[in-house]
Amino acid sequence: MSALLSIEGLKMYYDTQKGSVKAVDGVSFQLKKGESLGLVGESGCGKTSVAMSIMRLLAENARIISGHIYFDGKDLLTLSEKEMNKVRWKGISMIFQAAMNSLNPVYRVGDQIIEAIITHEPEVTFEQARERVKALYELVGLDPGRMDHYPHEYSGGMKQRAIIAMSLACNPQLIIADEPTTALDVIVQDMILREMARIQKKLNMSMIYISHDIAVIAEVAEKIAIMYAGKIVEFSDSKTIFKQPRHPYTIGLMSSFPSIRGSKKPLVTIPGEPPNLLNPPKGCRFAPRCPFATNVCLEKEPPYKEIDKEHFIACWHPQGVKRGAEDKDA
Amino acid sequence: MGKYIGKRLFQIVILLVIYIAVVFFILHAMPGGMKALFISNPRLTPEAQQAILKAFGLDKPPLTQFLIYMRNSFTLNFGVSFSHYPTPVWEIIKERLPRTALLFITATIISFLIGFHSGKVLAWKRGKAVEYVSTIGGVVAYTIFTPVLAFLLIWFFGAYLRLFPLNQFLNPDLWANTSFSSQVIFLRLLLTASIIGAVILVALILSYRLSHNIRSRRLIFYIPTISSVVIAVFIWWKSPYGIYGADILWHMVLPVVEVTIISYAGIMLVMRDSMLETVKEDFITTARAKGLPDRVVRDKHAARTALLPVITNFIISLGFTLSGGIITETLFSWPGMGLAMYEAVISHDYPLAAGCLIFTGIFVLFAHLVVDIVYAFLDPRIRY
Ligand SMILES: Nc1ncnc2c1ncn2[C@@H]1O[C@H](COP(=O)(O)OP(=O)(O)OP(=O)(O)O)[C@@H](O)[C@H]1O
Ligand code: SF4
Ligand SMILES: [Mg+2]
Repeated sequence: MSALLSIEGLKMYYDTQKGSVKAVDGVSFQLKKGESLGLVGESGCGKTSVAMSIMRLLAENARIISGHIYFDGKDLLTLSEKEMNKVRWKGISMIFQAAMNSLNPVYRVGDQIIEAIITHEPEVTFEQARERVKALYELVGLDPGRMDHYPHEYSGGMKQRAIIAMSLACNPQLIIADEPTTALDVIVQDMILREMARIQKKLNMSMIYISHDIAVIAEVAEKIAIMYAGKIVEFSDSKTIFKQPRHPYTIGLMSSFPSIRGSKKPLVTIPGEPPNLLNPPKGCRFAPRCPFATNVCLEKEPPYKEIDKEHFIACWHPQGVKRGAEDKDA
Repeated sequence: MGKYIGKRLFQIVILLVIYIAVVFFILHAMPGGMKALFISNPRLTPEAQQAILKAFGLDKPPLTQFLIYMRNSFTLNFGVSFSHYPTPVWEIIKERLPRTALLFITATIISFLIGFHSGKVLAWKRGKAVEYVSTIGGVVAYTIFTPVLAFLLIWFFGAYLRLFPLNQFLNPDLWANTSFSSQVIFLRLLLTASIIGAVILVALILSYRLSHNIRSRRLIFYIPTISSVVIAVFIWWKSPYGIYGADILWHMVLPVVEVTIISYAGIMLVMRDSMLETVKEDFITTARAKGLPDRVVRDKHAARTALLPVITNFIISLGFTLSGGIITETLFSWPGMGLAMYEAVISHDYPLAAGCLIFTGIFVLFAHLVVDIVYAFLDPRIRY
């Protein structure tokens, strides 16, 4: 089956007074129809930048240097703004990182969802759109009577659900959820993520979850892409990544987070800071923090290649640590 | 909503009482006190002096005087004007207030509409040359000294181009042989304007209530709006008063332009600023992500929300616009409240000056109330 979304060699830089911030620097990955992908990495590694490039909602100072983003056979980067507006929400919808402020305070929540429906499906009447919103509210566990309320009358969790409902409004083929639950407390967070995964399966949509929390993502996503300093450093299905991470950074991330089953082992964070993307290190970008770094790492950038079936990494010295073994060590 | 308005109304009555008290104390603080100010005028006959003395209780103790003054203010008894003796102050205010109101409201609506739209468009065109030029123009218009602007307008349109009459409320030659007073015509103009305003408001509300489709909304709004204007113009055109109405309107143009420019720049600059802040909001990114056309994102999402601070700021600048209005009336000889106040002060007509002062206060408080209600309609966070 061919890919629904295929990103090839995407580079997106931000122009600043000090130079170019290389926020996305040669990212490639593919996503099949109905598949879910988790995009994981520390803050500032460029996850949101990838998502915004796909939606073509870039900041004024952002510049796409090269690459292709094929969605449903079309290269989104070559579309006119008008054609792109047809892809937005109808083809790809997005749940933004700052979901709490994603609703316009002066309009009723239901009307904001209806607006999306009617924009993309002009033949739908207002009443039909209301019916659809009602159904969506039920799907995400909201009282449909709430659709005539304003955003300030919603709690954080309700807003989040309303936004999920909104993202589903036009039956998109792909939903990008950028840290969809970070503003919520852990219990609600878990519940909402599970619900999203359930809906995604039920409606057979593709999904990109973005998070810095690999443990949370592994629960809901089939594939995981690990991002570091503007590049994807490891990519595989989530079981493999979780059980047998090969890239030193992924291994580091794993030990940064306690396993969800709540074992009380101390957090081992990766020492050091991610590099400044204005002027990243010339070899492997992780080298300054990597315990396995050698001279070649400092000199030459490791190629991104398939080391196992459907398991890609960019590292000169792939590690073979099993997750279980590492647990015992710690 | 009703509760909110009730609360605001209550606050405004309290403010009014405080304001009248302040005026009372100012009058008393003057040399000779209120007694000297209100009756020491050679034109008043002894009987008239006695009447005023009694009506204002000016020989009673201060507290009683204060209560009497409060009661008189609320029953519109402000004494007798010296300079227009023996006309009561209220009669003069009754004649002048509508003229000021029309000037002020017309200018406010025009400057608001233009300021709102141009601020919106400029913010959207951020970084282009138009933005810089217009912003600089706005700042100049905002800081220009009101009389300078008036002299420029008078010189350019009145003296140089001879497009508009230089001053006055009407052309005396035209009105020399009429059997009716200019006030009658003016009140009819005011009535016409109020009816058209009401039609527009109702059409606006109905268009939102009845339809969810932009095109039919526009129809519901524009058909009554345009037809009411056309019908009004037609009726005036056919009536024998048409030419006199037109004469008054003609004289109104320059003062309206002046007050419009004074308040326009502030509104435009605040709107532009507010818009630049709003476009950074996350819900604007959401609106874009939803695939809404650029214009819908700008007008429906950004501008609608950016409007709120503009209205707040408008309340704050009300006093500023009003003082500009007084200067304008004086310079263009527009016989409204501002000119009345100015003349009263010049000719030591204290009762009239005090009356004008109180009415200016009422006018501002009332405008405040209207703006508060409009704000509550626009911001659901306040409404509930
Ligand atoms: N408009 C901009 N101008 C300049 N630099 C920017 C801009 N937006 C983002 N950046 C920089 O680009 C890099 C990537 O940012 P991005 O928001 O994509 O990271 P992220 O992985 O989503 O992080 P987070 O987990 O904090 O959301 C960061 O270093 C950030 O500072
Ligand atoms: S390439 Fe070298 S420095 Fe980079 S992650 Fe692999 S071992 Fe570490
Ligand atoms: Mg982000």
